[in-house]
Amino acid sequence: MTRRAVRWLAGVAALAVLLAYPSLFGIYFTNSFVTFGIFALYAVSFNLLLGFTGLLSFGHAMFFGAGGYGTALALTHLKGLPLLPALALGVAAALALGVLLAPLMVRISGTAFAMLHLAFGQLMYVLALKLRTITGGEDGIGGFPIPPFSVPGVLSVDMKTPANFYYFAVAVLGFSVFALWFVTKTPFGCVMVGVRDNPNRVAYLGFRVPHTKAVVYLLAAGSAGVAGSVFAMFQNLVSADGALHVFVSFAPVQLTMIGGVGSFFGPILGSAIFGVISELTSRYTERVELVSGAILILVIMYAPLGVIGMWHAARARARARFAPRGAAEPAR
Amino acid sequence: MNVLETRDLSHDFDGLQVLSHVELGVRRGERHAIIGPNGAGKTTLFNIVTGTYTPRGGRVLFRGQDVTGAGPHALVRLGMGRSFQITSTFSRLSTFENIRMGILGRRGIRFNLLRRVAAMPDVTREAEEVLRRINLTAERDLPASLLSYGKHRALEISLAMTTDPELVLLDEPTAGMSRDETKTAVELIRRLTEGRTVVIIEHDMDVVFSLADRITVLHHGEILATGAPEEIKANRAVKDAYLGD
Repeated sequence: MTRRAVRWLAGVAALAVLLAYPSLFGIYFTNSFVTFGIFALYAVSFNLLLGFTGLLSFGHAMFFGAGGYGTALALTHLKGLPLLPALALGVAAALALGVLLAPLMVRISGTAFAMLHLAFGQLMYVLALKLRTITGGEDGIGGFPIPPFSVPGVLSVDMKTPANFYYFAVAVLGFSVFALWFVTKTPFGCVMVGVRDNPNRVAYLGFRVPHTKAVVYLLAAGSAGVAGSVFAMFQNLVSADGALHVFVSFAPVQLTMIGGVGSFFGPILGSAIFGVISELTSRYTERVELVSGAILILVIMYAPLGVIGMWHAARARARARFAPRGAAEPAR
Repeated sequence: MNVLETRDLSHDFDGLQVLSHVELGVRRGERHAIIGPNGAGKTTLFNIVTGTYTPRGGRVLFRGQDVTGAGPHALVRLGMGRSFQITSTFSRLSTFENIRMGILGRRGIRFNLLRRVAAMPDVTREAEEVLRRINLTAERDLPASLLSYGKHRALEISLAMTTDPELVLLDEPTAGMSRDETKTAVELIRRLTEGRTVVIIEHDMDVVFSLADRITVLHHGEILATGAPEEIKANRAVKDAYLGD
């Protein structure tokens, strides 16, 4: 069988599992999977900045939160708003915040980038707490209607059924992850990685570094907004602590570190591992953070490139051992 | 006609004067060497001409156009290319990906998010052609950081040439090279810069005298002399300041 056929079959099998998942595993694990998907997209959008462009953000939650609040506010105040426009308004809110910050953020990097994001992230958190009339303060915004997925005159699918929402979420999140993956394979993706490795050289090949960063920034903001918007609809609640807290900003850092910062799929794997760990530990103790924190420390100490980095290193070692002398390939 | 000209160029770093009233003229098609002792202001001159710094005084003209204060990306698009004294490649990317970045720059493919780069056979072919010309085909998939020093420098120099510049500024292209590596590098420079105007900063006098059509001597931020290699060799002031007897 050719490599292509194998991939094709794997794709079909994965799709079949995804389709059958709700009936196979029941409501509880269906909802766990949606949570995993939301955080996977959120972490991938974060890693577009860190892993691909070399920009570490400590305030990525503000885009996640903007997506969530945007959708929640839209559904609360606009009567009869359909599902997809509600999602789009959440993404638009995240993008608007991105457009607002980009002119400053694309001109800085390193520690300044990380700390300014921490600062703006905290500002958004405090604003969400203080602007009670709009955001509901500590209570957040909840109980807004979740419209059905409808094509007028053709079909209308109720989104309050967990399985139905699962299909909607998986489609939206899956498409977003695919779109971001595709971007990393385009010429623009090459330039992005160039900015990470050597921004000065990128400029001396005729590219405008700030403009390139701005596009990445908006992609990251918008896709974090998608994740946040789906999160708000999934929970039927958005709150400062749930969507804008500094822990929400640190979550993708952790997921990316565990999975592997050097790879597109690292953050997704990290989200899966983290999901399983917190599921298992929560059966025995409420101190889930204690366990996941300890694991993070171990990963940083012994596998700084995450699980995927560990896998690559192991494969390179195996190759070096079994390859004829002098024919060892360098690790990539 | 001068491709590159500086008029009354002056620059200082917090009061430390590094360039004073520099009037450089580089003719179309020539190979122009800039020599001078360490701290003479050679690299600063490069940094100003290529847009890293904006000069405190004076103007830079490229192809007759005032480009003072223009950024690197704008100057590259106008036809300027530059290599660095300290190798400046994409160290984690393969040799091929390094060159491809330059090809994308030359073709102005800057914001294409809709097509896979692997599905652009023209770009791939052109990058592989460059690799062949600089003898790095065998190292195609090796990360730049794993190249030998000489080959890494060759990549650095060719990267400056991938955007097909009319004017190339090479900052000590043979720095740190062995005799043999230097010979290969000079050959490569000769080959790659054919039909282009070259400004080269160089300390190796053999390289300077074998490559350059004209030489400018910079000393304490001022131009001491400009002329053909023989004139420079014979120049009293240059001997005293730099070359010795």
